[in-house]
Amino acid sequence: MMRNDPIKHVFIWPAVLVVLAISIFPLIYSLTTSFLSYRLIPPIPPRVVWLGNYATLLQEPRFWNAIFTTTLIAFIAVGLQYAIGFGVALALNARVPGERLFRVALLLPMLLAPVAVALVARMMFNPTMGPLNQFLSKFGLVNLPFLTNGHWALACIIAVEVWQWTPFVILMMLAGLQTLPEDVYEAAELENASAWQQFWGITFPMLLPISAAIVFIRLIESYKIMDTVFVMTGGGPGVDTETLTLFAYQEGFKKFNLGYTSALSFLFLIAITIIGVTYLALLRPHLEKRR
Amino acid sequence: MSGQGLTGLSPWSRRLVAVGVLVWCLITVFPLYWVVVTAFKTPPGVVGGPTYLPFIDFTPTLQPFIDLYQGIRGEFFHTFLNSTIVGLSAAAIATAIGAMAAYALVRFEFRVRLGAGLVFFLLALGGYLLFNTTFGFTRPQALLLAFPIALIAAVVANRLPLPGPILGNEDILFWFVSQRMFPPIVTAFALYLLYSEIGRLGFQLIDSFVGLTLCYVAFSLPIVVWLMRDFFEAVPIEVEEAAMVDNVPSWRIFFGIVVPMSMNGLLATFMITLAFVWNEFLFALFLTNSRWQTLPILVAGQNSQRGDEWWAISAAALVAIVPMMIMAGLLSRMMRSGLLIGAIK
Repeated sequence: MMRNDPIKHVFIWPAVLVVLAISIFPLIYSLTTSFLSYRLIPPIPPRVVWLGNYATLLQEPRFWNAIFTTTLIAFIAVGLQYAIGFGVALALNARVPGERLFRVALLLPMLLAPVAVALVARMMFNPTMGPLNQFLSKFGLVNLPFLTNGHWALACIIAVEVWQWTPFVILMMLAGLQTLPEDVYEAAELENASAWQQFWGITFPMLLPISAAIVFIRLIESYKIMDTVFVMTGGGPGVDTETLTLFAYQEGFKKFNLGYTSALSFLFLIAITIIGVTYLALLRPHLEKRR
Repeated sequence: MSGQGLTGLSPWSRRLVAVGVLVWCLITVFPLYWVVVTAFKTPPGVVGGPTYLPFIDFTPTLQPFIDLYQGIRGEFFHTFLNSTIVGLSAAAIATAIGAMAAYALVRFEFRVRLGAGLVFFLLALGGYLLFNTTFGFTRPQALLLAFPIALIAAVVANRLPLPGPILGNEDILFWFVSQRMFPPIVTAFALYLLYSEIGRLGFQLIDSFVGLTLCYVAFSLPIVVWLMRDFFEAVPIEVEEAAMVDNVPSWRIFFGIVVPMSMNGLLATFMITLAFVWNEFLFALFLTNSRWQTLPILVAGQNSQRGDEWWAISAAALVAIVPMMIMAGLLSRMMRSGLLIGAIK
């Protein structure tokens, strides 16, 4: 039942005002700045260039490289997170021995500061003092260039992302698994459906809406990745691991090229919106079929 | 009700599954173990190659922590205090006003015309450009003038019979949650410019408690509103209806009945928000320098300041991690009571 009482405005306005102020102010500010040629160092007065910044950006190979890197990290990392997370959640739900103990440990990584996690990762991947290289050298792989080779560095960043955010998938999938009705499985048991058939016939389709939401959240969050890369490689070697947010930070905070950075962040916003809308459009037919 | 999906497996494959989970668990725990032991190592214990077991492989020492406390590697204690103050106040404020908004969205009816929203945006944008270019106000002045004008105009416009769809509570909720989709770099950078221009008007926001907390509150609100809505929906409406029959005012129903009943949810939301603020890096990087610097910034700085002093870096990382470890323990206890099931529906 919905009530109607003037006091509702007192309840909702503080939150609306804060969010409006902190999101609309900067939006308008950077939207207008993105049409200007505006630098703080050296200080030149702002000049209107309309779409000039956008045109320069779209021709900039470094920008496309950042988009490609970010997309690569986001998709591979989220794919792995989902696969591993779903698997572990299934196992935990089936009361694997020792499941109680696992739960706390498995929850931990997602609550830790990405910056601290990245520092720990640097230690793990250190060629001479890190345990990983010592372990691998037993298999004859000596001194792998974990953070100094472009491809390896990307793989390491993805590994750290998977390490940190798989717990989120585990947590959400576990909650999802617990909402599934028991009787469907009992019916399947009577029909002698194998565990494999039960999974693809019941569990997976019924969890598809939750899965879609989880993957969506993780994808959007992964596109914002910055702290991990900032600490682990700083975007290097060269610009091999530079993500969009890091690129924007370098341009904006190191070079104080305001118009350019504003245009960049708007392109980023547009890219995220396109990815989000495409994702939802692709998934919609699958989700609606189940209803 | 548990045990579906894998019940049909043979004991052999069940064992295989258990081993798989165990391997993932080890992968999860080993780096944490590593940072804990490294924090107690002496420099020779680190440089000489990987060592694993205290008292057998190396002799543990407290020296890294003593260095940390004495501020040899930066103002650690001060920064820790900053993080605590900003984290607690931002989480408390966000939970409070977010819970109020969530309750309003669950129990009261809102109707917003899309036209009014457009009026707001166009007036804010147009007013800003007008004040800035034609009347020669500075950029923050122009924004601060345009914002209330646009807001009042939008509220008035909402009462007029404008054409276009009318948005309800679900749409308002979606608007809140969609704020989370925003790449924070868009906001962080613009906020930095805005704060520094407001600073030139004589009101310092960069590197200040107010500036940082305000920004964190705004960015936590979407999650708070989203989570709290589910908790409030779970509160049985009959209790509230009984109170309404007795003519208890709405605000007393909320503070006297609903809030105590959803204490668990409020606590969980508070902790999740606290974790988010505690770990946040990008905004702190843009909006603080030295006085209100938070832990993630200091920890990230350890890396570049002195390359391979892993014992000290581990100690620093550990200080940033341990409070969240405690929270994970508390949260997982709450999770077990099915707390999150409602939130994902």
